[in-house]
Order: sequence, then structure tokens, then C-alpha cells
Amino acid sequence: MKKRRFLAKIMTAAMLVTTLAGCGSSSGSSNGPANNTGSSSSGKKDGVQEITWMFWDDLNATEDLISLGYKEAIERFNKDHEGQYRVKPITTNLEEYYNKLNALVAAGETPDVFIVSPGPQLTDYVEPGVAAPLDDYLNKDGWKDTFTSDAVFTQQTYDGKIYAVPLNTAAACCFYNTEMFEKAGASVPKNWDEMIDACEKLKGAGYTPVTISAGTAWCLSMVAGYLCEEEGVDLAKLADGSASWEDGKLEGACNKLLDLSKYFQRTAAGDTNDIATANFYNEEAAILIQGSWVIGQINGSNPDFEEKCGVFQFPGVDRIIAKSDSLCMSSTTKNPDAAAELIKYFTDDTAQKYTAEKGGKIPVTKVQYDASVAPKQLSYVMDVFGGAKGTFGFYNESMPTTETGAHFDDTMVAVFLGDMKPAEAAKDMEEYYKANCRK
Amino acid sequence: MERLLRNKKSILVFMLPAFILFTLVLFVPIVQSIYYSFCDYKGITDPVFIGFDNYKNLMHDKTFGIALKNSMFFLIFSCVSQLIIGLIYAAVLTNIKRGRNLFKNIIYLPCVLSSAALGLMWMFIFGPKLGINQILEKWGVEEPPLWLMSTKGFIPLPMWIMAFVALWQYVGQSMMLYMAQISGISKSLMEASYIDGCTKPMAFRYITLPLIKPMVATAMSLNAIGSLKFFDLIFNMTEGGPNHKTEVLATHLYQQGFKYFKYGYASAIGVVLLILCLLVTLFINKVVKTEQYEM
Repeated sequence: MKKRRFLAKIMTAAMLVTTLAGCGSSSGSSNGPANNTGSSSSGKKDGVQEITWMFWDDLNATEDLISLGYKEAIERFNKDHEGQYRVKPITTNLEEYYNKLNALVAAGETPDVFIVSPGPQLTDYVEPGVAAPLDDYLNKDGWKDTFTSDAVFTQQTYDGKIYAVPLNTAAACCFYNTEMFEKAGASVPKNWDEMIDACEKLKGAGYTPVTISAGTAWCLSMVAGYLCEEEGVDLAKLADGSASWEDGKLEGACNKLLDLSKYFQRTAAGDTNDIATANFYNEEAAILIQGSWVIGQINGSNPDFEEKCGVFQFPGVDRIIAKSDSLCMSSTTKNPDAAAELIKYFTDDTAQKYTAEKGGKIPVTKVQYDASVAPKQLSYVMDVFGGAKGTFGFYNESMPTTETGAHFDDTMVAVFLGDMKPAEAAKDMEEYYKANCRK
Repeated sequence: MERLLRNKKSILVFMLPAFILFTLVLFVPIVQSIYYSFCDYKGITDPVFIGFDNYKNLMHDKTFGIALKNSMFFLIFSCVSQLIIGLIYAAVLTNIKRGRNLFKNIIYLPCVLSSAALGLMWMFIFGPKLGINQILEKWGVEEPPLWLMSTKGFIPLPMWIMAFVALWQYVGQSMMLYMAQISGISKSLMEASYIDGCTKPMAFRYITLPLIKPMVATAMSLNAIGSLKFFDLIFNMTEGGPNHKTEVLATHLYQQGFKYFKYGYASAIGVVLLILCLLVTLFINKVVKTEQYEM
């Protein structure tokens, strides 16, 4: 009897301990990043330190050449640091990326290194101290001097400190199927009327003129951004209240968006970015308006299409939308030196040459690459870049907050779906700015 | 054993693990959520108390309005459809002798499968170029419907489709509950009714239905709470799109919390969800008046 009682006590104690152990470990504090347990995902296994790296594509399943280039950089790092450090990639699809990253940050498990878009999204990690300043590392061993200029860090700089390292630059352009254009008798448009004319000819020839995703709202919003630029919308003035969304410019842009939407594929409302892009490289549509990061995706998925793929600047605008992928380092990483070293592998000559020669993106360093082996689309994009009078950011990433950008995206999709009239969209944006963005 | 169970200390010890689990996993997070719903809380910085601001903002949030409407639609549709179809299935299956277990398992099977996986499967079936539309195109339909992309109407087409998918998935659960209750009805009661001249439909109406009323209340409460919290199927089929038209409270909460770091605001949505669940359960228990009979 005594023995049984003793056993019962042991069992109860074991249950309690396992219960408490299961509930513990989070440290439960919400006193800001300093109190977070840090990058708890980075640990030690067999004496090898694990460095977590988070990215918005599955490195094993992807056909995107840029993503495969990142995989190569990681493999090089692992090889050079064998027995010391090992990179553990945390990957997810683009649509879910920030949700998952934010969940990890909130749980105090910020990845050691993570990719982020410059603009309010980067601000979300800089202001609360999630991202660490990288100046000390950049100034060491002349790393910063390898970049084309200090200007590449403009969007990554806050109060004079650099919080992210750009990996490459991409420009939003119109990619087109030269064969379809030729068969339809359409020519590369220089202005808005010519764009509509080309779409009409393509439609007349039985092609779907434009493939776009409204399911992934920023894709449609990117086109809306170009149309706003064409109409002369000034985001800075709108933010400080010296201009109004209801001055007719956004309304004009929305009307143009509606004109162009007559030429979108039938499933545009729900198609995701990947589906819309696949419509283009599978030759189901003639024009894809997208960032030049898509070159890696197009050529990786359908290499034969490279010959038929032309590029032209969005008609009727002088400036082009440009953006760069950037890597941040967690402020709570246990291995800051190794994390910074890992970032360096993405901007060294090998990685940057790959970026241009295989990925088709514009390098951010002074690396010399062989233009003859680079994707043809890259030279077209460089031509567009050369002809442009300047660059501007994605509209949704150039607004005061991430949520404001998302509101703009949703408003543009609502206009496209017919849920809002252009004038209503302008009124809605003005009211949103008054309530949330202006002091 | 009996002596052990009479000992208050040992009862306490046995209750303690469940009590600790319930407190840590359920009660503390609920209290925390209620507190955060009154705060501007971004998850990575200290929560700042802002009173009822989050709740005031909910009133002006168009997407919250859509989500609330869709959740209520789900709730009503699920409660009514699962009650009717679940009862029909249960009544039919308890009255057939051959193949009862086979049909019971077939109908119940979707219940035990992952909603996320089922969501993906149905997304492909209702995809613009796959599944049903592929068949329709082969049959010569030039422009087959865009099942999950339509935004027209007070309740858009994708919501109806997802409601039917949810019905298909969970009707087995209601059926099982009703079957369990029906099989508990004494045979002598039914036989007595037949001797008194009852037909089978009459026996169902006047004997079976009143006797399973308590289970109707339970099943409806479970359906209602499940429908209000519905997330995975919707997230996998439409992600709340196009343009938030198929958003429900749980998906909106997720977007606000994890996409925009607005944990305080998301907690306010969670509290509304909690209150709705409580109100609906109370309402159902009030409306479906049950009396205890000897079965």
C-alpha cells in the first residue's frame, strides 16, 4: 500500500512537472525587444551554432533563379564555416511572409537574419528595435565601399544609421511577348493612348492583352501607382496635408485603371501574383506589369521564353518604380558577427555576379559582370533605367504606415472590382489620411 | 479507492493538473486578451492603455463590418443546415440495417480530416481553371463561373460555397450526436407508439424529436461556436478575398494581429468574438427549451 501511494505521488509530481514545463519557457515578458529571449531559434547543435535566416520563398521547391542564388550563398557560407556555424533557413510564401515573421518577433524568436522590403515595413522593425544597426560591420574591412554608392542605402537609413543591407535592385516594367505583339500588329507604346491601342489590337487578335493579379493586391496597386505618377500625385504633399486626394488626380488615375482593366484576364480578381506571372510565361497573355525580379521567375520556369520576352517602360511616365530586397539583422541575435558575415555573402562578388548573370536583377555593388551571359531582359531593364529621369518607390511602401499602404491597395482593388467609383476612392483616401496620417 | 476519493486532499491533487492547465492555457490568455483589447499593443513593445479606442475603431472598420456579417451568415447557415441535414441523416441511418456503419463513416470522415488540407482541395475544385471549371470547359461552357472570385451580392458566391463545404465537413458531427441520442430512446416507447397507431413519421415527430431536444441544443451550440470561430477553411480557400469580401471575424483578427502588428486591436476583435459566442450559446439554450424525459 505504501509502495502504491509512493508511486502515485511520483506520478502526480511527474504530471505537474511536465505540465509546467510545457507552459514555461516563454518568459512571458512584453517589455520590448531588450527583454525578449532573443533569437532563441539560434542554438547550438553538436558544437555548431545555428543561424536562422528567414525568406519569402521555399529554397527547395522554387524555380526562381534569384531564390536559388540565395540558396547558393547559404551553401557557400555553410561550407566556409563548417563545424562552426550552420544556416537554418525559415521559409514561407510571399503572401504569408510578414505574418509569420511578426509572429516570430512577437514570440521573442526573431530570426538572426531576415529579408524585408524598405519603407514602412522596414520601419516596423527599426522603430521598436527589432533590427540592429549595421554601420559597424559595413565600415569594417571596406564592405561599404564595395557598393555602387552610398545612395543605395538611402531607404535603409534611419537617423543616420543603416539598418538593412540591399541585395539587388529591381525596376517595375512592362514585360511583353514580342511574338504576340508582332502577330497582332501592335507596337511598343510610348504613351497612354498607344498603350490602349496596343491592348485593343492584341484583344482583336484573340490574345489576352494584360495579365495582372488583384488577388495579390499590391500587384494591381503597383499599376495604380504608375497611373498616379502619370496624373501628378504627390505623396509627400498628401502626407503633410498641403494636397488633397480629392484634387482629381487620383480620380483620373482610377479612370485610367478602369480603362486598362477591360484588357485584363478574366480571373484577375482572384489570381495570385504567381498565377498572373505564370499566365505570361505560359504565353496566355501578352503583357505583364511587374518588377524585374520576375526575370528570375520567368527564365527559371520557362527558359525558352527568354527569347520572346521584351521589356518597355510603363507608358506616359518619366520616372520608374524601383525597389531592393534588403537583409536585416536581429538586434537580439546571439551571433551578431556571424549574422553580419552571412549578410556579406549575399553581397560578395560571387553572389552579385549571379544576381546579374543568372537572376537578371541589377547588382548593388561595383562587381563586373558578363553582360553577354546575363538574361536578355536585364539589358532591356537597364535601358529602361538609363532612359528614366528618376525613380520612386512602390506607392504602398511610400505611404506613412504599412496599413496605409494596404488601405491604398484595397481601395484600388475596390475600384477595379466596381465596389467603389473613382470619386469615392479619392474621398475614402482623403478621409483615411485625415484620420490616420496627418497630425 | 473509495477512501482515497473521500479524502479532500487527494481530490485536490487529482484536480490540480487540469486546473493548472485550464488556468494557464485558457483563463490567463483570455484575461490577458481582455486587458490588451484596451491597449495599443504591438506585441514587441509595452502595451499602452487607451481605454475603449480599439472598440470605437471597430465601429468604423469596414472590413470588421463585412467580417461580422459573414460570420453571422455562417452561424445561421450552419446551425439551420446542420440541424436539418444532420437530423435527416441520423433518422435515416438509425432506421436502416444494411450499410449503416459504412454510410456513417463516409459522412463522418471529413470531420476528422484537416480543414486546411480540405480547404486547399476545395480551392482546387472551385479554381478558375481547374476542377469543376475544367469539366465545364470540356462540355463547351466558354466562360464558366468564377466560384471563389465573385464579389457581387450581399452574401457573395464564395461565402455560399464555403458554407456548403463547411456543411459537408461538419454535418457528420451533428449526425453522430443525434444518432447517439436517438439510439438511447427505449424501443418499448417506440413500440408503444406503433401499437397506438403512430406511423414512422408521426413517431419521429412526436417521440423522437422531443426526446432529442437536449442534444439539439448541444449540437446547435457547438455548431454556432464553431461557425463563429471558423478560420482554416476560409483562409485556405480565399484568404478573405477578393478584397476582404469573404473575411470572417477570425481571419480579420489574424490579419490585424499578425500582418499589422495590431495585437491590441486584434484582441478587441477576439473579445467581440468571445462575447458573441457566449450570447449565441445563451440564446440557443433559451430558445431550445428542453425537458427531461425518461427514455
